[in-house]
Amino acid sequence: MTAPNGIREVDVLISGASLSSAAAAKRLVDSGLEVVALERYALPRHKTCSGIISPRGHRFLIENFGPLPKEILYEPTSCRGVTFHFRGMIQMPMDFDHGTTPHLDRMYSDHWAIKRSKVEVHDKTRLIGIEDRGTHVEVLARRNKEDIRYRTRVVIGADGPNSQTVRCLYPEYRKQINWFTVAQYLHEIIECPLDPEYFHFWFHPVLGYYTWSHERNNRQIVGVGYKAGERLSHRHRMTIEYLAKHYGVKLEPGDERQAVVNNFGLSLINRYVFGKGNVIITGQAAGFLNMIGEGMSCALHSGAIAGEAVAESLHRNTGLQSVYRLMIASEVKRCSDQWNPIKIIFGRPHEADFRGALSNLTARDKRKVIIEILKFLYPWGGYNWGRQMVTQALLRELRGYYLPSRWL
Amino acid sequence: MPQDNLHEIKGNKNRLAPVTPDSLTGVPRQQTNPSRWSGSGWDAFVAELNSAGVNISQSSAARSIYITDGGGVAMGLPRGVLVARSSENVSKTLKAAQKHRVPVTVRGGGLTTEGECVSYGGLQLDMRGMSRVLHIDSANMTVRAEAGIYWHSLAEALRRQGLDYLSAPLNMTSSVGGTLGVGGIDINSPKFGCSADQAISLKVVTPTGYIVECSEQVNPELFEQVLLGYGQFGVITEATLKIRPFTPIRMHYFYYSSLKESIEDLRFLVEEEIADYAGILTMLDRAINLLVAFDSDEREQEFFSRYRSRLRGHGEIGFTLRMAAHYALHPWKVKEALYLLERKRALLPELSPSAHMQDNKMVDRTVVFSRAVWKFWGGRQMVIPDLATSREKFARAVERGNAVCRRYFPNYTLYCVGIRLFGSRPRYELSCIPPDAQDFAYGCEFEPILGDHYYSRDHLQSFKNEIYDIGVDMGTSYYRFGGMMKGYIRRVFNNELVDKHLRIKQEADPAMILNPDVIF
Repeated sequence: MTAPNGIREVDVLISGASLSSAAAAKRLVDSGLEVVALERYALPRHKTCSGIISPRGHRFLIENFGPLPKEILYEPTSCRGVTFHFRGMIQMPMDFDHGTTPHLDRMYSDHWAIKRSKVEVHDKTRLIGIEDRGTHVEVLARRNKEDIRYRTRVVIGADGPNSQTVRCLYPEYRKQINWFTVAQYLHEIIECPLDPEYFHFWFHPVLGYYTWSHERNNRQIVGVGYKAGERLSHRHRMTIEYLAKHYGVKLEPGDERQAVVNNFGLSLINRYVFGKGNVIITGQAAGFLNMIGEGMSCALHSGAIAGEAVAESLHRNTGLQSVYRLMIASEVKRCSDQWNPIKIIFGRPHEADFRGALSNLTARDKRKVIIEILKFLYPWGGYNWGRQMVTQALLRELRGYYLPSRWL
Repeated sequence: MPQDNLHEIKGNKNRLAPVTPDSLTGVPRQQTNPSRWSGSGWDAFVAELNSAGVNISQSSAARSIYITDGGGVAMGLPRGVLVARSSENVSKTLKAAQKHRVPVTVRGGGLTTEGECVSYGGLQLDMRGMSRVLHIDSANMTVRAEAGIYWHSLAEALRRQGLDYLSAPLNMTSSVGGTLGVGGIDINSPKFGCSADQAISLKVVTPTGYIVECSEQVNPELFEQVLLGYGQFGVITEATLKIRPFTPIRMHYFYYSSLKESIEDLRFLVEEEIADYAGILTMLDRAINLLVAFDSDEREQEFFSRYRSRLRGHGEIGFTLRMAAHYALHPWKVKEALYLLERKRALLPELSPSAHMQDNKMVDRTVVFSRAVWKFWGGRQMVIPDLATSREKFARAVERGNAVCRRYFPNYTLYCVGIRLFGSRPRYELSCIPPDAQDFAYGCEFEPILGDHYYSRDHLQSFKNEIYDIGVDMGTSYYRFGGMMKGYIRRVFNNELVDKHLRIKQEADPAMILNPDVIF
């Protein structure tokens, strides 16, 4: 509804038009609320992402948005699992539970999901400011240098790691967390012996914090991640040389580079940010990121939970923040469990069998793998996450949940 | 899915990709959380009905009370609501709905758990406007009632003449029509079968709007389709049901520490037809309650003289002593012991409230059990996935389901009953009655005690999925397989059977407007 003063009045305004937004929108639109999603770019828009989604995320997409059309997938259209590589050429291939998963082209998959949610999307519209008036929220956005105003009961911030919603709510937050850059380079393939059915990940502290490779549309992606501000091209060059030397991977020079800033680490130490008042944060903006950097399945589920909490709150007049924080606990558990050393050693928090793959190695290789993983953790020491992770893991064991008091 | 969507996205030919055949093994490529209906044709539909004297409420206040069902997980808002007043007005509505392709979702007491009676933007047809008892025939022991009536209200009317219904779900707000559409289980189901089996004849409005009377003799095909038909083949507006003389019941409780033993004893009671009522309610994995009750003193005496000694359960005092000994040896389980004590203190008096007892017999079992169910197991939502199995698979299925409950919730209850079957009636096909069950089927509900805690839908859904995966693995059926759980229908029944029912549905309901997204 648009008021005479030109202010658009809605029940819920979602910032972002990605997978978590689509999931939240799906719940809200289904329950009959008037919802608008703001997207700063023109849709369909590019998004830097490996595109490998976990089986749980795949199931969510099917059950909520229907079977995946081929147009939203890259070639190869599916991924069988993840292969961990360690120095000394030790390889640990792990198949995903329940078979292969799709290889999403985020440009089209996100657009498909947001359309299937039936939400009204205002693209090319950038969120500028949020003012929570207690009974409602006033939102300022900008399209083509023109200000647009919305009046909404609730705002959901599902606008990714570099979230404008979080910035509006907590201006100092950016300075308090660590930032990383991840870049993927696309290369024409001359020869690549790496199995195209798998996502390859290297535990190699020198190459970078996050080093991976997989095939996409007949090109090979070589990706590296490191502290924000560091030059990634150096790490990328080292990785290319390393792959050529040890794996016989021959690639043309990278002809396309896609980079993204990341708020990595929040799910390791249970430091999520969920918003305040009539504004809630979800998806990667809230800090959700699964191990191996898969963020889509937790974005979808946390987004859906945000939608459910808002629907519950608006339809049944219950406190938004308290309902959301109670409901989101299950996703926090799933996501942080994946990083939790106790769960990794004694449980099975991932959707692939790490312990099974480890048991397939010889005793000597097993020892090497464990030493290599420990060495890989060493450069992370500067972030002081180790103690926090162990404390959170122990408290999780004692209480059965992650402490909500650490959430913002 | 709307084909034009993807043309718009990439401008090339739309193909659906299963990714690869081994992806999500066994999970059908099917959207199970329906999308909100677009609303095209709605205004013309409302206008046509208005001119025919049928008024649809479209106010926000009228619609918002239908936001969810008993499960409290699915939320959907209808565009308009019609409270049914007569078969004729239901008929006019369905005729117009076929013409304008408006989805119609029927609701009785609203106690579905998977959003089956939640309308995602179509018309909500509330049957509770048709809730009169039309005729009680005490000579032939039948009653004719409108289908929107609650069982509890029907019992009240029958009681004045010393009569009672045969069996119905133990809660205050399930309606006759809704129950006949899905089955209906009571603790006397070992004796009378599911509630749907007490129907003698029905007045049904077909999806195309024809008012048809049906029974085993007249229009038997429709009769069999509508009973346990999950609302797919017509709206039941009136029903003639078998009734019986009212009898107060004498309840007895036996306590077990082993789930397996209690299940074996339940099967013994059911299959030897020893008790008139029997069911299991667990409190903890090692505190299990077997309920046994009788309609007559003779049956009760016969049980105590001939069969009691063959049951392995203990009486209350014996069991209390055993549990005291157990917790004395396992003092670290003190929390569990306290929970049990609290449950005993609060729950047991509720099962024999003085207002509903007479000479140590329970006179209003519907009221007593319904109150207890809501008070101790209810909350803001009901999450009760279940497994329905043949006798051979039952104990194993319950044990496996119990292990899943343990991983998801601190406290939960298992509710197990036996169900008498009457041969291989067509109505049992594609229903909660497992295809391999003979003479008796068994059902177990897995009921986490949620209280007023908020869990995410994903947490509850993952729990339900794990329970239902057991069913897929073991080849059982489910009582609640519609709505959001419909992805399991093709997994437990073969495609051929589901397609057969789909063809019948398409023929009966060409626009596929009656209770869409429930089964197909």
